[in-house]
Amino acid sequence: MKTLLSAVAATLVAGLLSTAAHAESLVLYTSQPNEDAQATVDAFEAANPGVEVEWVREGTTKIMAKLMAEIEAGNPVADVLLIADTVTMQRLKEGGHLLAYKSPEAAGYDAALYDADGAYYSTKMITTGIVYNTSAAMKPEGWQDLAKPEAKGLVTMPSPLTSGAALIHAETLAAIPGLGWDYYKALAENGATAAGGNGGVLKAVATGEKAYGMLVDFMAIREKAKGAPVEFVFPAEGVSAVTEPVGILKTARNVDAAKKFVDFLISEEGQKVAVKMGYIPARNGVALPEGYPARETIKVLPVDAAAAVKNSEAALKTFSGIFGTN
Amino acid sequence: MTRADEIARSRGAPVESDAEGGSGFPEPPRRLPSGARRFGRLRSFFRGFFFGGGEAAEGRRPRTTFGKLPGALTRTLSGVELPPMPHVREAGFPKARPPRCSREGRRFGFRPRKPRVPGGEPAWLLPFVLCAVLLLSVLPLARLAGAGVNGLVDGEAARLIFAPATLAALRNTLLTATGGMVVSLILGSLFAFALALTDIRGKLILSFAFMLPMMIPPQVTALAWVEMSGPASPLLKTLGLAPPLGSPQPLYSLSGIALLLGVQHAPLVFLALKAGLAASPRDGIEAARLAGAGPLRVFRDIVLPLGAPGLIAGGAIAFVSGVGNFGIPAILGIPAGIETLPTLIFSRLASFGAATFGEIALISTLIAAISAAGLIVQQRALQGRDYRLIGHSGARAAFSLGRFRVAVEALLWAVLVLVLAAPLLALVASSLVPAYGVPLNFDTMSLDAYGEILFRQSITLTALKNSLFLASAAALGLLAVTVPAAYLLARRKGALAGLVAILIEIPYALPGIVLAVAFILTFAAPLPVVGVSLYGTIWIILAAYFSSFLAVSLKPVVSAMLQMDPALEEAARLAGAGFFRRMRDVLLPLVAPAAGASVILVFLIAANELTVSALLWSAGTQTLGVAIFNLDDSGSSDLAAALSVLVVLLVIALMTALELLAKHLPEGVLPWRN
Repeated sequence: MKTLLSAVAATLVAGLLSTAAHAESLVLYTSQPNEDAQATVDAFEAANPGVEVEWVREGTTKIMAKLMAEIEAGNPVADVLLIADTVTMQRLKEGGHLLAYKSPEAAGYDAALYDADGAYYSTKMITTGIVYNTSAAMKPEGWQDLAKPEAKGLVTMPSPLTSGAALIHAETLAAIPGLGWDYYKALAENGATAAGGNGGVLKAVATGEKAYGMLVDFMAIREKAKGAPVEFVFPAEGVSAVTEPVGILKTARNVDAAKKFVDFLISEEGQKVAVKMGYIPARNGVALPEGYPARETIKVLPVDAAAAVKNSEAALKTFSGIFGTN
Repeated sequence: MTRADEIARSRGAPVESDAEGGSGFPEPPRRLPSGARRFGRLRSFFRGFFFGGGEAAEGRRPRTTFGKLPGALTRTLSGVELPPMPHVREAGFPKARPPRCSREGRRFGFRPRKPRVPGGEPAWLLPFVLCAVLLLSVLPLARLAGAGVNGLVDGEAARLIFAPATLAALRNTLLTATGGMVVSLILGSLFAFALALTDIRGKLILSFAFMLPMMIPPQVTALAWVEMSGPASPLLKTLGLAPPLGSPQPLYSLSGIALLLGVQHAPLVFLALKAGLAASPRDGIEAARLAGAGPLRVFRDIVLPLGAPGLIAGGAIAFVSGVGNFGIPAILGIPAGIETLPTLIFSRLASFGAATFGEIALISTLIAAISAAGLIVQQRALQGRDYRLIGHSGARAAFSLGRFRVAVEALLWAVLVLVLAAPLLALVASSLVPAYGVPLNFDTMSLDAYGEILFRQSITLTALKNSLFLASAAALGLLAVTVPAAYLLARRKGALAGLVAILIEIPYALPGIVLAVAFILTFAAPLPVVGVSLYGTIWIILAAYFSSFLAVSLKPVVSAMLQMDPALEEAARLAGAGFFRRMRDVLLPLVAPAAGASVILVFLIAANELTVSALLWSAGTQTLGVAIFNLDDSGSSDLAAALSVLVVLLVIALMTALELLAKHLPEGVLPWRN
């Protein structure tokens, strides 16, 4: 009994200590895939010895739900947020949850890529285009191709209810004349499905369960490099883009480390890490990773961030109305 | 013989024999004042949840553990003349009678009189156990019920319950759980009849393998099956059998979910049915055969009626487990946009956070209500039936299959290959390929996924550390509650003990998602007095595990306590040993193997847990179950597969450890053994 008790006590103490230790380190909430999140954190830790980063990965909307629940409970765990889109960041900024920090590294960026008050900084560009399985009959070239009869029942896309990039994507396409919500209705009538995040789309298309999908660029290009039977297309009409901004929470416990983290991500070194993982860098003068066309040939569709913030509720409702998802 | 027994006997009442004290929880008394009878019924309700209930043990004599006593104590007991005490006058060693009341005695409210010998049951024991049970069971469930009632009073309930999403989820839940139940019944009864009644070979290994799906986490089962079927299955691609492009993954459907629920819960039916069949009268079957009845007739007239209650009970448990399952509908349903009630709760909480506490409380009470309905069916099935039959059981197979034996064996093995070996092979295959849609061959094969999760992903290590911490803290920590509780339940009869037993079992019987919601509601706000919030820390998961696995932990220990001859402890008490001394020198050494089994069982289940932690995890408190789920969700299915393979290996290792412990354990503790 005694050994048993002491074993229990030891385990409990060990648990307590580990919880205590985790309060000291930097906590990152991110929507990057696990491997990328780990690689980012590893590179940062290597460049800043002594700072330990604890990270959590979930889809942007789930991360936000977790964060908002924590804020409501008065105990936000995260110090730094690295999530898909500026729209969500803008909403947090308007809610007064973000710390204004003017990073010296911002000089290398277009003014459009960071918040003027320093609440958040874009770290990379992630476009959403079309992915198709190499054994598919049709080679899609534009968004409209997905609504054609050849693609009937073979199209899938991430749900805006799970993915931040998917929400921006839907809002972007919905605002384009000639596409709009009617385009989504046509897709739904053509048997397209929308559920889960980008990971699910990649899986469905690469495994051949679906032939075509809307997907973020880096996933498709990276997976192709690993040997998966997929091809990525930048559609003729243009792609939507998110910029994966990073921001520091006002309630951050470890502000210094958080600032270092932001600086690192948008520094030249940090941008090279992103390129290595297969992302289009946000910083000027950093080359694109392999597998991408030249930067100037990628046509990015415009999105009005302020309007997007306002309309996102309605867009979510319209989208779930069309696809009947939760 | 106790004084109450003497009084009862003098009134002409029969004295209960020792033989019925089986290995389950204390038998519900058959005739009691109405309040106590109700407890007895409720208790048998939830009892089935212990891997199919304790019926198997009926009719067996408690094993005497006298010979295993530590040497010193044995010498004392055998060599020393004890002073004559009235209440042990007729007892003698080692054949003693538990201090019990007769039925008549109970009816008149008699309790076994406590002998006035130093240190009987210590005064703190009952309050301690009651407090633990209140904290772990009553408080969270009352909080959930309160939130549910509040929702109803608000008038929000009707709106929410009749919202299309909820109705669709309700319909999907009922459809998949019913379909799963049917599959479970088919698979479970096939194995139960074959293993309990026929002379097939390799019963232990068949039974062990058939129990595995229940021990493997549901989300791993789901992943494995997805990797096995579907157009990109590395296994099918390698074999050249992959379906053409655009073929839907057949498992991403209601029937896919139902099929996997069926496979996952078939062992529950198997156990419930086998327990009934194990007690079937060989003599009766033989007599019928001698009288000229054919095998089918014997099966129809003798075996089936005996098996029916077990079949109904097993089906009800499979249904209830299907209603509460989260891992399978999460992996198979969410990509296809099919929600069940548990995944609806999960996605509501995940996407909308604390704002939906009221809603999810209502949906969980809905799940709890459906579960309760299933449990009532189970209880009805068992009510009023007495399994104890005259005759030898387990001695010989009732049916010898003759030349069909090989065919039946082949069928059973084929089923196991299909439901167990093939999916696991597919899982291994997909952990070895670098990307989706790549066939597995010597060029593409790599261990990169294992390298990534083991050496590069800090998340795996965090998850592993958390799961190991949670599982060992729950497994060992629970002993501090279960040993005193088991002592109490084994020594005390009556309404209070019955109530404690029920309260311990309810959280285990309820679906994990309901329990998780109950704990969120209880601990979301900062604790009173200390002002610390448990929500978002690892401690809320641990608390929920304590509640959920208390019953799992208790079962082996209570079995051991019941099988122990009370004379041993009485002797020690007469010799002047206090409670702790008796615990240390007499009880603990004897229950140690059972406690070991309890630790491993809880560890096994807790290490693989997903449902509770999926709702309660936060930064740095991911569990293995959550990590697998999350890796799959982010599109890294090779990593998810690799981690799953490691988890399955862990499960098999722990089950083997239990199997090796088996001969030191009380009967009925290991679900896959007879």
